[in-house]
Amino acid sequence: MDRVMSARDLRVSYDGAVALDGVSLEVARGALVAIVGANACGKSTLLRTLAGIIEPERGSVEILGLPLRELSLGTRARAIAMVPQRPELSAPFTAREVVALGRFAVGEDSRRVDGALEETGLTARADIACQELSGGERQRVAIARALAQAGRDSVLLLDEPFSGVDPGEVARLVAVLRARAEVGAVLVTIHDAGLARAIATDAVVLLEGRVLAAGKAHATLTAETLTTAYGHPMEETGGWIAPRLRTAR
Amino acid sequence: MKHGALLLLGALLVAAAARVSFGPTADGGSLRMAFGVPSIESLQLRGSAVIGAALLGAALALAGLSLQALLRNPLAEPFVLGISSGAGFGVALVLAAAYALALPAVRFGGEAGGAVVGAATTLALVMWLGRARAGHDPTRLILAGVIVGSIFASATMLVEQMVPHGLRGDLMSWMAGRLPEIPEPQMLSFLAALVAVAGGLLFLRSRALDVACLSDDEAITSGVELRRLRVELFFLSGILAAAAVAYAGPIGFIGLVAPHAARRLVGASHRALVPASAIAGAALLVFADCVRQFIDVGTGRLPIGVVTALAGGPAFLWLLRRGRWTA
Repeated sequence: MDRVMSARDLRVSYDGAVALDGVSLEVARGALVAIVGANACGKSTLLRTLAGIIEPERGSVEILGLPLRELSLGTRARAIAMVPQRPELSAPFTAREVVALGRFAVGEDSRRVDGALEETGLTARADIACQELSGGERQRVAIARALAQAGRDSVLLLDEPFSGVDPGEVARLVAVLRARAEVGAVLVTIHDAGLARAIATDAVVLLEGRVLAAGKAHATLTAETLTTAYGHPMEETGGWIAPRLRTAR
Repeated sequence: MKHGALLLLGALLVAAAARVSFGPTADGGSLRMAFGVPSIESLQLRGSAVIGAALLGAALALAGLSLQALLRNPLAEPFVLGISSGAGFGVALVLAAAYALALPAVRFGGEAGGAVVGAATTLALVMWLGRARAGHDPTRLILAGVIVGSIFASATMLVEQMVPHGLRGDLMSWMAGRLPEIPEPQMLSFLAALVAVAGGLLFLRSRALDVACLSDDEAITSGVELRRLRVELFFLSGILAAAAVAYAGPIGFIGLVAPHAARRLVGASHRALVPASAIAGAALLVFADCVRQFIDVGTGRLPIGVVTALAGGPAFLWLLRRGRWTA
């Protein structure tokens, strides 16, 4: 296996409350990994730890075989890029300006910026102030910034990129992430287990800060596992996995 | 962007020329306006006042810009966040203590020390009070600043009541924001050095300041040493605000209006915004000083803080109402 990222026995706690405990995972080149689990199960904490934002109390993260904590900020920025759940922007920058911010630690490169705008379908909207763009477009701007930042064979971490985004936009984002995963690796937290199974190659299911199940997406994301993960009966319906609901009359 | 920068420089030059043309004369007419051809002495006098006002405006604008970047809040500025009032309280305490202990008149150094301690304490207090679970909530922060500021302003008034009449009058007019008519050369040199160092440092950090406009997670993973940047901005904005207060008392809204005007003219990138804000602040304060020369309500010219608050307060409200500051 051509391993690009691995984490071993991660433990993270906030003010004594354990958020991650004994989490290990391995990410191969070409993988699109879905991280699935109930609210507050540690999905975002795991992504932030893998990105080097949170220093784990125990355990370590390696990227391309090198310990994350020993990398310089520039090397780290080239190897890992992250898109948080709620990208923020406190100044009236245009889409192109925001994407160019991704090049901060890795050297200005307008070709990479143009390329990232192109990849995310934002070329025509590049010179519009971000505040004027739709929510989905702003999400794509944040992804384009991450694409412009990290090298092509890097790891891309995205926290809930599909929440609050319309289905057409979901399809466009999926295409962008798949293309990226082919050369590097992509990790996304996803709430919709059906969507996760449809787009991911691999999956990690978290329950209260621990790995409940991990492996190939189709084998891992079963109704049984997800019923445990969400604490609610989940069922297969037409190739999708959904919560069992009392239907409206 | 080029045009915006030229426009700002032009505005500064026009304001400076206007301020040099009107103002107190050197030959005794200290509070009257003099029209016509001024003497060389009057020009020198007014020239140093213009330089003082311009440096002060630049310092206030850079303080506002640093705070806006530090707190990721476009409404931040030293006066609104209570930092000016905190620094003012520090100065008032130093002056009152010097009086009580019968020490010789405190020079700029002592006042500046009190101002720095007051400013840093207030900034730390407001940041702590305004802290929400997820970073800093803009509204909460401003609210904390306004309340802490008014507490310090009242505490300053308490100190005023406890000192004898002469010092009280001095303190009161100084708390309204008063530009020195005849600035001491050492003060001007100190302000000039401070503006140059602060402006230079902010300019060096301009790209990191741009990235810091993103969320913390994005900024950190982009390779910005966010913690170090924030420590730098904390001290920089505190020292700038403190020096401004020690020089001329608390003067509001320049730190808010100047960076906003500059943003409209040169865009959001700090590489252009740092110099443009400094020039805009200088132009605004020199212009406010000009306006002041024409207004005499029978008690001499108005303190400059009154002019900037009367014009800048509504500008703040307009920005608040427009609501575009939450990106």
